[in-house]
Amino acid sequence: MSLESILSIRSAEIGFKDVSPLLEGVNLEIKSGEIVGIIGRSGIGKTTLIRTIAGLVRPLSGEVLFSGGNISHSTKGSIGLIPQRLGLVQHQTVGYNVLIGALPNSNWFQSIFSLPSVEMREATREAISAVGLVDKTLTSVNLLSGGQQRRVAIARAMVQNPQLLLADECLGELDTETALEIIGLLRAIADEQGTAILIVDHNPVRARTFCDRVLQLRGRTIIPLNEGEQEEASSLPQYRGDE
Amino acid sequence: MSDTPRLVQFVVRRPILRTAIILAIFAVLAIFHLEVNLSRLGDAASNLVVIAGEAWPPDFSILTERASWAYPPCELQTDWMCSPAVLGMTQTLEIAFLATIFGMAISLPLAVAAATNLSPPLLAQVVRQILAALRVLPSLIWALIFVILVGIGPLAGVLAMTMYTVGYLGKLQYEALEGVSREPLEVARAMGLPRWQVARFFAIPEAANSLISQMLFMFEYNVRHGSVVGLVGAGGIGWYMQYYLEPFKLYDRVLALIIVMYLVVIAIDQISLRVRSQFIEEHEQIRRPKWRGAFVPWVESSDD
Repeated sequence: MSLESILSIRSAEIGFKDVSPLLEGVNLEIKSGEIVGIIGRSGIGKTTLIRTIAGLVRPLSGEVLFSGGNISHSTKGSIGLIPQRLGLVQHQTVGYNVLIGALPNSNWFQSIFSLPSVEMREATREAISAVGLVDKTLTSVNLLSGGQQRRVAIARAMVQNPQLLLADECLGELDTETALEIIGLLRAIADEQGTAILIVDHNPVRARTFCDRVLQLRGRTIIPLNEGEQEEASSLPQYRGDE
Repeated sequence: MSDTPRLVQFVVRRPILRTAIILAIFAVLAIFHLEVNLSRLGDAASNLVVIAGEAWPPDFSILTERASWAYPPCELQTDWMCSPAVLGMTQTLEIAFLATIFGMAISLPLAVAAATNLSPPLLAQVVRQILAALRVLPSLIWALIFVILVGIGPLAGVLAMTMYTVGYLGKLQYEALEGVSREPLEVARAMGLPRWQVARFFAIPEAANSLISQMLFMFEYNVRHGSVVGLVGAGGIGWYMQYYLEPFKLYDRVLALIIVMYLVVIAIDQISLRVRSQFIEEHEQIRRPKWRGAFVPWVESSDD
């Protein structure tokens, strides 16, 4: 596994203009093939941090560097995002939603005329097969269960093959078995494609089991989650899916 | 003397009555200002009786007799296919169809440019002003303008209805595009896709149900208004009505044309309503939007 640094955040203030920042002095480094978990209570700024790394929100100060360069100059298709509600195009098929992951690799002609290349179609088939939804390829995503929809979002990321995948609570409201399936898929993306994954999870105990590192947002900053805090956290009422 | 303040108090305490009195005062002032002669209403009633007498029974020879004076001329051999009703209604439907297709093709890119979630704010504002300017004039005035520019005939009707369709449909479309969920668009932006790909592959498919429904509604609208633009020479069934009204005053034939138009519009409304209901989001089991379903609904019946 390569240890190339993919994401580097230095002394960043995260938040929105004209209000006090949600996070201050954020320092974070993620290497390729690494899965980093982020936990923290609701409203503390986890989603805003993810959106800032995705280049959707500008940091108030500090640097967010992607492969050594400014995040706004990241290569097309090098950052993948799975938002909280997955960001699937509703009423479109599983095949469509997975194939659009290949758009960054398409040329002008293929995009204009919706003519995906053989490679793009093959990558889509493979990703749908990997997440076990071959029989649902032509089904509208809004007719799938929550777990199946998450698998579609992950297949989209597999086709995109980004260097950094940002997953915002993509394990939320899943039963244990389905959550384990999704974790297995994320692990496969990290190991086989060398993708760095930053995942937000509410459950610190679960995050420990599959993340290489777990960080927590506390008191407007980001700090490592140590063992003691994990035990303390595990004594709290557990997430429904893990009961 | 003591009654007057009590009456005023009575009115002041009742807001509905107070509003009604104010509105009545403005109405009376407007009638005087416009010099409206209400006695003419009596004349209208007597004129109505005369016209009704001349119009009834409707003369349905408009469905069988060949319109040798038709414009453009009808070359078909069968008389009923060249009758004023069939020619007029066919032209109206063709004008409405072309105006809807051309209007859709022009308005959709403009709507993308006008949607604040897909375009820079300055560009969105400029395009919104253009669309608003197109909506200022009703289709009848557009028809008058194009009759002057390109002469009488269906071309003026198509151009007039297209202009109005662009303005009206463009507004409906950018509102639908602005209503799509933020998350798919953020996924696309995080991928680093250019704006046009965000619109083409994320926003438009997400809003497809609304866009198809609006297009069908616009076709219905254009059929109804396509008959009006003919009155100023822009083709369609209105042009044939105008032919019978001036100078012949053949009210029985005009009534027959109105009845034919009414039946066709009702039929189109019903078909359109049925097709549109499949694209309106009222329940979870909504069908996947397919543009061809808007044109050939029977092909879609066994799908999903």
